[in-house]
Amino acid sequence: MNKKWGMAIDLDKCTGCGACQVACMQENNMPIFKDDSDLPKRVTFLDLMKVTNDKDAKKKYGEVQVAFVPKMCQQCEGNNLGAHQPIPLETVKKRVLGGEKVFFPGITYDEQDNMLYKPEVVYTKDMVEDLEKKGVKSVYFDNSQPPCVSVCPVVATDVGDDGVVSQVWSRCIGCRYCQTACPYEARAFNWWNPRYEGDFKKSLNPDVSLSSRGAVVKCTFCSHIWKRERDKLLAKGEKDLNKVKYNPACVSACPTNAIIFGDLNDPESPVYAKKLNNDERAVRLVHSIDKADPKVREKWIAKKNYPNPKVYYLSSQKWLRDILVGFKNS
Amino acid sequence: MKSAIEFCKNEWNSYTRKTKIALCVLLGLVALFAIFAIQILFWGLGYTDMNNVFAMGIWIIGDLGLVALGGGAFFSGFLLYIFRKDDLEPLINSTVLIGFMCYLFTFILLVFDIGQPLRAWFGYTYPNWGLHLMPKSMLTEVVWCLTLYFCVLCVELIPIPLKHKVVDKIPFFHYLGHYLHRLMWIMAAVGTFLSFFHQGSLGGGMWGVLYGKPGWFHPHFFFLAIVLATAGGTSFMTLWPYVASKIMKKEIVPMSSFQALAKVSGFMFIFYLSYRIFVVYTLSTVYVPMADRSFIDLLGGYYGLWMLSLELIFSAIPIVLLLVPKFREQEKFMVAGLISGVLAVLFHKLFVVLNGFSIPNFAWRPFMGYNPTIQEWFVMAGALACMALIYMWFAKYMPLFPHLHKHEHHEA
Repeated sequence: MNKKWGMAIDLDKCTGCGACQVACMQENNMPIFKDDSDLPKRVTFLDLMKVTNDKDAKKKYGEVQVAFVPKMCQQCEGNNLGAHQPIPLETVKKRVLGGEKVFFPGITYDEQDNMLYKPEVVYTKDMVEDLEKKGVKSVYFDNSQPPCVSVCPVVATDVGDDGVVSQVWSRCIGCRYCQTACPYEARAFNWWNPRYEGDFKKSLNPDVSLSSRGAVVKCTFCSHIWKRERDKLLAKGEKDLNKVKYNPACVSACPTNAIIFGDLNDPESPVYAKKLNNDERAVRLVHSIDKADPKVREKWIAKKNYPNPKVYYLSSQKWLRDILVGFKNS
Repeated sequence: MKSAIEFCKNEWNSYTRKTKIALCVLLGLVALFAIFAIQILFWGLGYTDMNNVFAMGIWIIGDLGLVALGGGAFFSGFLLYIFRKDDLEPLINSTVLIGFMCYLFTFILLVFDIGQPLRAWFGYTYPNWGLHLMPKSMLTEVVWCLTLYFCVLCVELIPIPLKHKVVDKIPFFHYLGHYLHRLMWIMAAVGTFLSFFHQGSLGGGMWGVLYGKPGWFHPHFFFLAIVLATAGGTSFMTLWPYVASKIMKKEIVPMSSFQALAKVSGFMFIFYLSYRIFVVYTLSTVYVPMADRSFIDLLGGYYGLWMLSLELIFSAIPIVLLLVPKFREQEKFMVAGLISGVLAVLFHKLFVVLNGFSIPNFAWRPFMGYNPTIQEWFVMAGALACMALIYMWFAKYMPLFPHLHKHEHHEA
């Protein structure tokens, strides 16, 4: 699939009504506990965070500003540590014909960002010849990983070829190492046995499995809705998965269209990444490397992985952009 | 049944008043451990003070501490069996037992710490492996390496009960013990190999790879943890039998052995302290600025600068007290050096876990705090009480101290 799902949230339009959070909880079968005011232990995929410029309560009347920031899993992809260097197909061919075991740990792409092979492929002579027939001149592999995926000891979390970070509730052993690794506090742990009181059970969504106590859960950009839309298309005889379009529950529920969703790779999409990267109003959460001096950014990205999230926040207010992007400017 | 009750009564009456009090306290802690363990296992981790931001707590600190301190077992075995440092022979049985218990209780605490203990075996059946023998997740590496090393420790422990005068009379067990003892250098070598990996991964690598977290990300954490285990672990392995000898009021290990291992510990602390200073320097100049934060800002909150300073002070004390012969030869200074060596390990682990979790991820958030609940405290304390009871049992009934055994035999 060529899609890379992403999201843009216009905080100028967000009224902080909480409809996105309610829709998310209903869509994803979130349990409701007796005391959900216990925020750090609450199980929710989408948290509506209150952000203020008056952390120390020292500002005068009229200076205090407040915004509400919907925060879900940012679907990080990692910055790939320079693995995006193109490798000429001739080089690969020479190595394969020389009897060398050519192994690509990540997804292989061609020059047009089309996925050629899934991760962890050992190249054979036939595969190289097939690529030559397709006219591919060079390949690159993407070995990037979100901060949470590489740390999971039991592969309960993984990243799909559409960039969505998945989580298998029933595989999770509840070690919470992924929570520790997540810089966005986007993962929740079921500290108590999930409860669905009375009639609430009748409204449960059959497309989302219920998690048991002691497992980590997270937002998956409502990937079950994508599956539902895919099935509808397949029933109509359409087999191209790239034609599947959908919106997560939070996007559909937003009354002001503050949250928009789409393909980051598609120039026609409202969340086209290249356009968002050049938008002065757009920032990514705790990702000040985006705003660093280009030379410094290049140097650091070569040394260290960065989360590289796929959710953008747009605001015309500088104080809000500064506080969202990181620490030194805030 | 009657004779068993009679035996227990006689046994109990044979103890001194102080021993009886100590046993009551320890057994009480074990009973509370059992009660709270059932509560945690059946009703969930909601009873702890951990939460979605402070995702790990006292038990993981206990795991890290126990593995680092138990690391003295592999290093002592390595020095004795590979480097032939024969001074350590009288200490080795005690060292193996302490190492065994540290690893056993690390597993036990991990069972409480994970939300789904019944799925713990997934670590073996669905491991997150990368290419060839390289595990992708540090925790996968920890699970496999800890298990293998625990097996090695079991094999190393078996000769101790086999040397018991009753068991030793049976020819099969006598020869089994003899040949296992001859194989011990292989076990020591395998143990050293495995320990280097899991000491590094659990103690440091596990935190060092978290590139999204500025307080932890550091490529040297892996190696730092290995050096710390060799330094602090040897202090612990000296201190424990020393305390036992004072309680038993017998010379269970010659003072020259204590001093030999204490000297090793002091020597290793030179490397540790220099390495730690280097790590703090590179954190503040390279790795924390990479996340657009300043190191000194990360040292705010409840577990900041004071904890790091204490760790560095406790790491410096053993260098003076354990390495300078004038101090080491005086028992009080040697013990002070050993205690500060153990405290250096504890403060390092406390700092890594507590400070790392307390650092806010968002600019508008304050530092977090963590206050373990009664369940967390008693599970931890009960585990330590179990360790003390096991050691007492071995000291009383098993030939844990060959020096004492030889001495008594000689006197007889």
